Amino acid sequence: MSTQGTPSSSDTTDAQIGFPHWAQHLLVFTIFIAIWEMSVQFNWVSALILPSPFAVVVAWWDLAISRGIIWGHFFTTLTEVLVGFIVGASFGIGVAILSAINMTFRRLVSPYMVALQVTPRIAIAPIIVAWLGFGMEPKMAIAAIICFFPMFINALTGLMQVDHESLEMFESMRATKWQIFRHLQLPGALPVIMAGFKTGISLALIGAIVGEFVSASEGIGVLIQRFSFQLLLPEAFASLIMLTAMGLLLYGLATFADRHIVFWRHADLVNKISRRMRAKNAGLTGIKPHA
Amino acid sequence: MAEMAEPDRVTAPAIDTRETIIASDDLGMVFAAGSVVALEEVNFEIKQGDFISLIGPSGCGKSTLLRIVAGLLTPTGGTLSVKGDQVTGPRPDIGMMFQKPTLLPWKSVMENVMLPKTLGGRVTKADKEEAVALLQLVGLEGFEFSFPGQLSGGMQQRVALARLLNTGAEILLLDEPFGALDEFTRERLNVELLRIQREVKATILFVTHNIQEAVFLADEVFVMTPRPGRLTEIVNVDLRRPREIAMTKNPDFNQRVFEVRDILGGTI
Repeated sequence: MSTQGTPSSSDTTDAQIGFPHWAQHLLVFTIFIAIWEMSVQFNWVSALILPSPFAVVVAWWDLAISRGIIWGHFFTTLTEVLVGFIVGASFGIGVAILSAINMTFRRLVSPYMVALQVTPRIAIAPIIVAWLGFGMEPKMAIAAIICFFPMFINALTGLMQVDHESLEMFESMRATKWQIFRHLQLPGALPVIMAGFKTGISLALIGAIVGEFVSASEGIGVLIQRFSFQLLLPEAFASLIMLTAMGLLLYGLATFADRHIVFWRHADLVNKISRRMRAKNAGLTGIKPHA
Repeated sequence: MAEMAEPDRVTAPAIDTRETIIASDDLGMVFAAGSVVALEEVNFEIKQGDFISLIGPSGCGKSTLLRIVAGLLTPTGGTLSVKGDQVTGPRPDIGMMFQKPTLLPWKSVMENVMLPKTLGGRVTKADKEEAVALLQLVGLEGFEFSFPGQLSGGMQQRVALARLLNTGAEILLLDEPFGALDEFTRERLNVELLRIQREVKATILFVTHNIQEAVFLADEVFVMTPRPGRLTEIVNVDLRRPREIAMTKNPDFNQRVFEVRDILGGTI
């Protein structure tokens, strides 16, 4: 069992000669879109199978702006993902904490954790729908179940990798178990826990969509399925783009949370916080300039 | 130069009236259900205010001994007592420092130094002022609100030392504290450690495997040998204090270094 994602570290820069990065990205994107458009225009691929980028944009404009019907579905799916993730992450981290502080608990739950890991969790979707019906709840539940495991395993790994000498340092200061957990174990686990956030939130999105595929009346997953059945592929692609946007938004949120919670791994943030603390406590030490 | 000309030996040793603060009586430690003898028949007495260096090759049990004094390990034989009481667990008058700074990277230098107070309850304004003073003592004035990641290895160990002093412990156990630092930083910190010990009047037990460092710092060098871990010999370093780096050029100093090396020579 390995952890998901990599803990964030200090940002690196690579010097680049010639085009700025954004221009390179724009160039590649333009070429990609142009080839796609041409392959449809020149009938290399049937427009029925692959809609042209232009058709997708027209469909998106219709769904998102002219009629505006896509937003209700968008927020339905987003709500399912967020609630599912919060529930799944809370359980994952909670069970990990209990496992980290109690050996017996860890021993007793570990077979179930392995069983949960090896079972394709998507297969549980129809059962959950049978239990919880056709509303948003089953999608939240599936999202929660799918993101539970990476959150659990990352949190447990982080909590278990306590530096031995740091632990001895706390023990020599006669710290209680709770103090060791609160001041050493938990903050020390945060980088790995937060790396799990990024994986977990993407998995929660998968979970919600799978739930919608199984049975639903609302959500982006429903739209994609419905449009595909009707062979309205430009509309299906437009809906897919909304999902990509949602995925990016969620990933951005997770990255933002990671940066600010695990601030000490980011030199720029540490410098900022350090400067702020120094200014606030100038009365205590006298103002002294130091980088 | 006049200072150099003076004899570095302390001539007439006064009768030692200081009380024994740490005493080890036939101390033994066996690990892994009897298969590894880490310590055997270790006997010594340490007087209050002494600086003891503990030297020996890897596996000689010096870190084990230090952890028994810290109350982190329970010996399997004999007794270890501090101020006449048998040590049964970590005590407030004993503090420990490690080769790694073991700082908390998410806490500022101040917060790290105040950790012993944080664990003890609420942190008062007086505690903060004390932490600032301790940081001055270890030469980190102006770095109160830096974070460990912004500091060099030597500076991080200075923070760790300030935190150790903030425990209020009078017996300081140092487990190769400067072992991971470069030679220049190590030399400077050794001199400062002696200055700080004079100021706070602590008893120090210092584990190292650098013979020069052991002799430079100590009143007595405890030389240990492995398999099984024994305290083979105690070398008395009756050289003048305060000590400066220049002392390492002194023949009396080098004689002690050779003496320790000879004892270790048979075992390495």
